Amino acid sequence: MKKGIALLLSLALCLGALAGCAPARSQPSAGPAGSPSQPADDSKGPVAVTIWHDGDEGIMQTIADQVNAQLADDQITVVFEKKTDMPNQLKLYGSDAANAPDMYFYAHDVLGTFTAMDILAPLSDVVDLSILSDHLSMTVEAGQIGGVQYLLPVYFETLVFLYNKALWEGDIPGTTEELYDYMAAHTDTAAGTYAVVNQHTNAYNVSPFINGFGGYVIDESGKPGLNDPKTIEAAAYNQKFGALQADGDYNTVTTLFNEGKAAAIIGGPWLVSGIEAAGIDYGIASLSDIKLPNGNGLAPFSGIQGAGVLKVALAEKKDAIAKVLTAMASPEVGVDLANKSGCAPANNKSYDDPQVAGNEMIAVIQKTASTARPMPNIPEMNAMWSPAEAMLTAINKNGADPAQAAADAQAAAEQAIADMQ
Amino acid sequence: MKQKSRWKPWLYCVPALLLILIVIAFPIAYTGWISLTNMNLYHWTDYGFIGLDNYARALFKLDSGFLSALGTTLVWTVLNMAIQIGLGFFIALGLNAPGLRLKRVYKTLLMVPWAVPAYISILLWRVGMFNTEFGILNKLLSALGFAKVDFLAGNGIAFLSCMALNLWMALPFMISTIDGALQSVDGSLYESATLDGAGFWVRTRSITIPAIRPIIAPAAVMTTFITFKQFDIIYLLTQQRGYMTGATLNTVITYAHQNAFASNNYGLSSAVSMLLFVVIILFSILTNRSLRED
Amino acid sequence: MTRKGKNTARLALLNAAFLLLCLVTLVPVLYALSISFSGQGAALSGDLSFLPKDPTLENYRAILFDRPFLLWLKNSLLLSAGTIALSMTCAVPMAYAASRWRFAGRRGLLRALLVLNAFPQVLSMFALFRVLRLTGTLNTHGGLIVIYAGSMCVFAVWNMKGYFDTIPREIEEASKIDGAGDLQMILRIVLPLARPAIIVTCVMVLITVWNEYLFATTFLLNSESYSLAGGLYQLQSNDYSRNWSVFTAASMLASLPLLLIFFKIQKYMVSGLTAGGVKE
Repeated sequence: MKKGIALLLSLALCLGALAGCAPARSQPSAGPAGSPSQPADDSKGPVAVTIWHDGDEGIMQTIADQVNAQLADDQITVVFEKKTDMPNQLKLYGSDAANAPDMYFYAHDVLGTFTAMDILAPLSDVVDLSILSDHLSMTVEAGQIGGVQYLLPVYFETLVFLYNKALWEGDIPGTTEELYDYMAAHTDTAAGTYAVVNQHTNAYNVSPFINGFGGYVIDESGKPGLNDPKTIEAAAYNQKFGALQADGDYNTVTTLFNEGKAAAIIGGPWLVSGIEAAGIDYGIASLSDIKLPNGNGLAPFSGIQGAGVLKVALAEKKDAIAKVLTAMASPEVGVDLANKSGCAPANNKSYDDPQVAGNEMIAVIQKTASTARPMPNIPEMNAMWSPAEAMLTAINKNGADPAQAAADAQAAAEQAIADMQ
Repeated sequence: MKQKSRWKPWLYCVPALLLILIVIAFPIAYTGWISLTNMNLYHWTDYGFIGLDNYARALFKLDSGFLSALGTTLVWTVLNMAIQIGLGFFIALGLNAPGLRLKRVYKTLLMVPWAVPAYISILLWRVGMFNTEFGILNKLLSALGFAKVDFLAGNGIAFLSCMALNLWMALPFMISTIDGALQSVDGSLYESATLDGAGFWVRTRSITIPAIRPIIAPAAVMTTFITFKQFDIIYLLTQQRGYMTGATLNTVITYAHQNAFASNNYGLSSAVSMLLFVVIILFSILTNRSLRED
Repeated sequence: MTRKGKNTARLALLNAAFLLLCLVTLVPVLYALSISFSGQGAALSGDLSFLPKDPTLENYRAILFDRPFLLWLKNSLLLSAGTIALSMTCAVPMAYAASRWRFAGRRGLLRALLVLNAFPQVLSMFALFRVLRLTGTLNTHGGLIVIYAGSMCVFAVWNMKGYFDTIPREIEEASKIDGAGDLQMILRIVLPLARPAIIVTCVMVLITVWNEYLFATTFLLNSESYSLAGGLYQLQSNDYSRNWSVFTAASMLASLPLLLIFFKIQKYMVSGLTAGGVKE
């Protein structure tokens, strides 16, 4: 017995010594991420273009399928890799030529952060910007920092009003006050059944109120607006809705709706696949059709999803990336995304497709886009989400005085922005 | 021979020191260096030396949140350790009661939480126990006719919820350690004490506790450090972005983490980290001293 | 008679208390177990019941065959084995030296290690990234093993040193007379005697590696190379409303190996854990 242990230990020691000597080579199977073609020469042989994302894998697959089909003759393939907390990962890996991806796919609000870090290449360094000539100007502008185009817009999204046709009684109210009355009459918190659920402490999901009241989270110059009187008014108004909207974290509200315990949810197209899997017959309404007491429609943030190019990728894959960008900009990608995933294409030409034109979700998103406000994309925006969420949580969950909570959050936001420098 | 014996001990230490140098010492030194630079979003790769500016700013920040975080951390550590050791002691005593036939079964069942990976435990509790809609605790309250409680909303209740989870995760280790220590106590001591007419409490106080104290001290010190440094529970339960619950609890570690990630200013957050390090060193000196006085 | 009756009553009370305690302790686990055997619909909701709705093994099938669970398990085992081997190889000689020989700087060194170890690792992430990048070991298991081993090394040194202190020197003296070299003697005499400490130290290292997800998902880029904790973290990341039942099944499977190991090592627990060795 003792001998066995001694033997085992010495074996372990030897193994350990080996591992200690050659940590780099001990694990070939974990090799470099995704790109089987190492220093690939563009002119010959297959090239893989790696794209990091943190979104819905179905949507990325749709894009990959269409792009890869278009580029089959060029032997170029795009490979989407999902990374949890992708923006923070890119902060580490963005300038690391050995491991950085070639491109990334994300919403436009992180653009300012990435360009400040100087890890992105302007699209014009890679490809002629005429590929964007058919794109909706709102989406193109959202992809610019200081007038330079960094993001290729692919599709855009806003919050919409999704309701369960089997549970909702009557028409969708035309005003928020009527909506509130409906909620008050049809919500039983003790039984766990709700009329409308929303992530009522998340600044993105409360943006319909904030923007609709004329408030703002942050303006173009980087000044936080959490203590703007209009923002405070909106947050205070949102509170009574929040009280009837369950916990408000993403998983709770999504599950409530998918299980038929909530008749409606304020959410985006990203919820649709789950709702369909749950077998719910759902309808969609535009938030801009629901008017606030001041007469404005609810005005959510819009997010423009698209692809950016990492500087470090240009040295070896510039031509391949140019082709990928061109393919991504094509109307066909938009058509596929619209038909398969309900995403509203950024390319105007995609809407010529009759099926896209007839898509209910897309019609609603497009309609909302007229009042929606693109999320700010300045670097300071990155520091705003936490203070804004803290403010809404304090008001909705801890009964804090809105003005006080706003003042605290404003101070925290200003501190965080000052800390950036 | 003399030459050999002077160098040999260090030779034996080389592999471990090398490893520690790379993985522990270097990051601290590097953090120290970054804290003297202006590395931030706008100087991501082209940062330069700026002296002690970051420390001046970090010290200024200290009044805003750091001191209350430090207070929370101390209360958190003391309460957790006191309950852990107290509860662990009584449970272990119970396990060792003469005639308890199912001891092994109980002990095995009580060990189960230890085996669940920490991250999974936290998520299980957040959703399965504390959630207002799906959590067992609220279902129980509803079934009994009470109103729902948001267990993570206020600072007080969130603190208790975090502590409940921490105890759930940490008690098995403590029970196991104290149980083992109890078994090492010489049984004949009890017999003679019983003959002298000492009751249960007297025996516990005058025999059991003095006998096991040195045995469990190392485990207790280790656990104290782990509790002090506890990050995941408070962070994942209450302050993950998009899942903030309304509690504004911060320990010094979550405070430093918040500062590092909200602003992307690595120079400044490194200065905060280094100050935090100083606090921890002071804390460990205090812990060591109290141990020696025992 | 009265005394016997009192004893029986006391035992009954104690048993009741323990039953209750075990039940309370196991609530979260029973909950997860019940969900893991439930059909998709019962994912997050369900009434207050610990019996699965429409019992099914589907979740276990899904996690075992539709996800790279077995691959993650293999990676976890590999990382654990590598970390244990490396950290013990480095820690044991130092622990032995610190326990047996009084050399200049010894005290200061041991104290310094404790202080260094107090630095929270969450805050070292950026620097460790630099180290891995510099050595070209980003995205390799080897790099991660070095980090894990380094972070457990101080604990291992202290724990093993504490145990070596309790082994009488006379045993070694005897073998020295037999002409055995130092290394041979450590391997053949000291280590077998230190078995409880070795086992417990290894298990502590194992738990750390088994639980760690932050470094695993940050320093490894390929989801195929993740460890169990990292893979499960990535699996549900922020949206677990869809695969909560699969996640609970995975949780149960991931906890099983440690549970089995705990049963095996229970008896070594106390004698093997002498960390911090209060005496010097």
